[in-house]
Amino acid sequence: MKIFDIFKRKKAPAGEDLFKKKYQSFKKLLDANNDALEIMSRLETVSEGDFVFDMQYIRARSEAILGKCREIIEELNILGNNRYAALIPIYEDIRAKIQHEVAGKSAQTREAIVLPLSQVDRRLLLEVGGKNANLGEIKNHLHLPTPEGFVLTAEAYRRVLAENRLDQRVAAFFQEVDTGNLEDLTDKSQIIREQILQAEIPPRLKEEIGQQYHQLAQTLGYEPRLALRSSGLYEDQAFSFAGQFLTKLNVSLEHLFPGYLEVLASQFSPRALVYLAEKGLAHREMAMSVGCLAMVPARASGVLFTEDPTGSRAGVMVMEAAWGLGPTVVEGTLVPDRYLLAKDQEVSVLEQHLSPKPFRLAAAASGEGLTKETIPDLEHQQPALTQEELVLLGRYALQLEEYFGEPQDIEFAVDDQGRVAILQSRPLTISQPQPQALPAALLQDHPLLIDQGTIACFGVAAGPVFVIHQDEDLVRFPEGAVLVARYTSARYGAVMHKAKAMVVDIGSATSHLAILAREFKVPALVDTEIATQVLEPGQEITVDADHQRVYQGRVAELLQATARKQPLLTEMPIYATLRRVQRWITPLHLTDPKLSDFTPSSCKTLHDITRFAHQMAIAEMFELGEQARQEEAYMVRLKTTIPLNLYLIDLGGGIRNGYSGKFVSPDDIASVPMRALWKGISHPEVSWAGPIAISAKGLYSVVSRSLTASAPQQGDFWLRTLALVSKNYLNYSSRLGYHFATIDAFVSEVRNDNYLSFRFKGGAADEFRRALRARFLGGILARLDFDTEITGDLVVARLGKYPQALMEEKLDLLGRLMACARQRDMVMGDEKVVDWYVQAFLEGNYRFVGEPR
Amino acid sequence: MAATLVIVDDEPDLLDLLKLILTEKTDHKVLTTSNPHQAIEWCKSYKADLLISDLRMPEMEGIELLKIVKQIDPNLPLILITAYGTIESAVEAMRHKAFDYITKPFKKEQILMTVDKALKWRQSQLGT
Repeated sequence: MKIFDIFKRKKAPAGEDLFKKKYQSFKKLLDANNDALEIMSRLETVSEGDFVFDMQYIRARSEAILGKCREIIEELNILGNNRYAALIPIYEDIRAKIQHEVAGKSAQTREAIVLPLSQVDRRLLLEVGGKNANLGEIKNHLHLPTPEGFVLTAEAYRRVLAENRLDQRVAAFFQEVDTGNLEDLTDKSQIIREQILQAEIPPRLKEEIGQQYHQLAQTLGYEPRLALRSSGLYEDQAFSFAGQFLTKLNVSLEHLFPGYLEVLASQFSPRALVYLAEKGLAHREMAMSVGCLAMVPARASGVLFTEDPTGSRAGVMVMEAAWGLGPTVVEGTLVPDRYLLAKDQEVSVLEQHLSPKPFRLAAAASGEGLTKETIPDLEHQQPALTQEELVLLGRYALQLEEYFGEPQDIEFAVDDQGRVAILQSRPLTISQPQPQALPAALLQDHPLLIDQGTIACFGVAAGPVFVIHQDEDLVRFPEGAVLVARYTSARYGAVMHKAKAMVVDIGSATSHLAILAREFKVPALVDTEIATQVLEPGQEITVDADHQRVYQGRVAELLQATARKQPLLTEMPIYATLRRVQRWITPLHLTDPKLSDFTPSSCKTLHDITRFAHQMAIAEMFELGEQARQEEAYMVRLKTTIPLNLYLIDLGGGIRNGYSGKFVSPDDIASVPMRALWKGISHPEVSWAGPIAISAKGLYSVVSRSLTASAPQQGDFWLRTLALVSKNYLNYSSRLGYHFATIDAFVSEVRNDNYLSFRFKGGAADEFRRALRARFLGGILARLDFDTEITGDLVVARLGKYPQALMEEKLDLLGRLMACARQRDMVMGDEKVVDWYVQAFLEGNYRFVGEPR
Repeated sequence: MAATLVIVDDEPDLLDLLKLILTEKTDHKVLTTSNPHQAIEWCKSYKADLLISDLRMPEMEGIELLKIVKQIDPNLPLILITAYGTIESAVEAMRHKAFDYITKPFKKEQILMTVDKALKWRQSQLGT
């Protein structure tokens, strides 16, 4: 078709509708993208702290952003003719993950009183508690080995209370009790615990427990002894409750009901109540779920932290293990074997410290509970775990950390056959060294009392020594004392909120007490061996946990601001939930469209999806501009003396009052970006007149290229330039002689939507001269704040999210630049002169007066 | 002056955060519950100085609660917590003489200021 034949056709073909439809999709995509980004920013602001919100808010915002992303994907697929369908399953996967976190209780699960572990996961968090919910995730979604078992839900607890008329008493107890008074608390909690221990198990609960146990025995092929593990509703979420509630091991069916009541009563122990009050959770519903798991006949057990909990070493996992059942390790009654594992794919064992382990806890063969068994001398020093077991556990740990999205504190057991079972996994509290660590030099004026131990929590604090020998001592523990003890018993957690620091003879940084110290930010040393021998009750000491030292007296220079802080808002459970949900929303992995992983399959979050879709939508609009070049039926030509042959396609609101004839004048342009660009193109200082002066060398270059490359058609130096316009959009493609330039821009009052993308390629001159021109353009664009990339003679420059006025200014300058650049390569024969031209342009010398020859 | 504040909301997370903020920054006695009937009971028995309530609770609407407590103590200010998009109901509550409303999510300074204003209003009503 000859160039001017196109105007003979009056009626727009189907193509015009297609353009409009695609443009509308593009606009909708931008709107949805803008909304999605706004929700993300808002969530980020809220998650930084200082805000009050609830689950309803998280749910509503998650739903909103999911809706926006779905819209973005739909519109992108309209634009790209379903080329991006691969985004749909990725989106669905992310949606399922988010909904998993924010799921509310369904009526069905609200009623359940006993559930097999195979039906439990995080969606039932508020019915089965944190510990059971996580274990269900591990078993049913991550498919790692866990014990078989069933769960007595919070509803079961409620029924026990209600049917024994204890619910009102419990409510009254919480109104009356003063958690600040340990003596009063001990007395009152004793009464409520006794009442719970005497409660009758409701018949329906008895029946359902019996059925579940029977089913469990059938699955296993024997009647198992059970481990009854407490699972508080808020446990193992933002708060560890480490060792605060009871775990009963080796319980027979016959003793299951009294055992269950014992576990329920444990949430009214003084230490659990103090913990609850200190964490600001006292008004929460005190319901408890209990996991009933088949006992693992443990040859060895232990704990594994997927990070060094004292933050001292990066890239390692810390593992501790001992013979027999777990309490020896978590209660710190002996020094376990300690391993450092590399946090890489091989999970190699970096260090191994074996300790003598003279006894083990085992299930009593006859009767209930545990027995302490002596280990033959020769086996004391043997490693509790084999290398294969260490590596296998390490691999499981990495999987758990990845799955739960944060460092984990894992308890495990290994049986005689080397079969591993994960018993629990919860978020790990990490203590970080002080940012301004003090010099390690010894202080001359203060006698050094202890110079060894393991850091359980960083920090420096001073106070009088209070040695705890037995639980009764806890009642007398004074505010601001240093807790000194032989073992890291979790029961001492009851006074952690009062302690300034902690120093313990035996025990490890992975023990429950150490976890509590970190949670309460109490500087703590464990495994010092001698604390109870060398520290005198009442003696004033300074604990420098950072350097594993204890000094006599108050060492003022070491003591920094040690005022105990209230728990921050960001430490509350709702913030933890928001952070978990945000993992699937805000992180951005796709940053560079130039990289090969800029694909749908690399999208891990909603942010990734929006980033990918936005980039692809712009690419699609470019494509559309290219297609438009082939569709010549419904263009209008711009009436101007500038030799541009500029044709416009109006996608809606781009030209004033519509158009009927073949021509429109520049004043008829209503498109915001096109008007701005035109302002630059038609700038009075810019020259479009005639061929510019060419040096002899430059001319020779053009001629020689014309002989080797295909020349522009028609013998006409100017080919038409095409612009797709709407009120806020511009897609401008022009051939200026041998040059090819495209601009894609969106300019509106909504700053977040605005972008400008410019591409310049081609040219008549030889490669070297074209490269010089690219440098000329690139130099200017970079100075005009464009993100500029030059590959050979291709210049790609982008900018975005500027306010409308600034966007218009940039387009204006771009218009001027295109005019100036049209044949500038012909005169630039020397690298040095490029800088001169750049400077001249920036100074507004668009006619390059005084240019070097 | 240390006052007695009763907060009722069916979302325990919100109670957590409000309790933490109000006990950290003020000396007020803060009672929290998810049960509106309990809240009414406490307003009576503790002679509460301020009630903060969710606008929408499964057991009782905030406006209904407002009407009940106003009968117990016409000078008891009530601050309603509303979700985004429930402004109309909040305006309705203001017509029923709620002291103020505050829309989730809000900053802690906002609730502290509103509580302060409400308690001052109560003092002026009681002429103390």
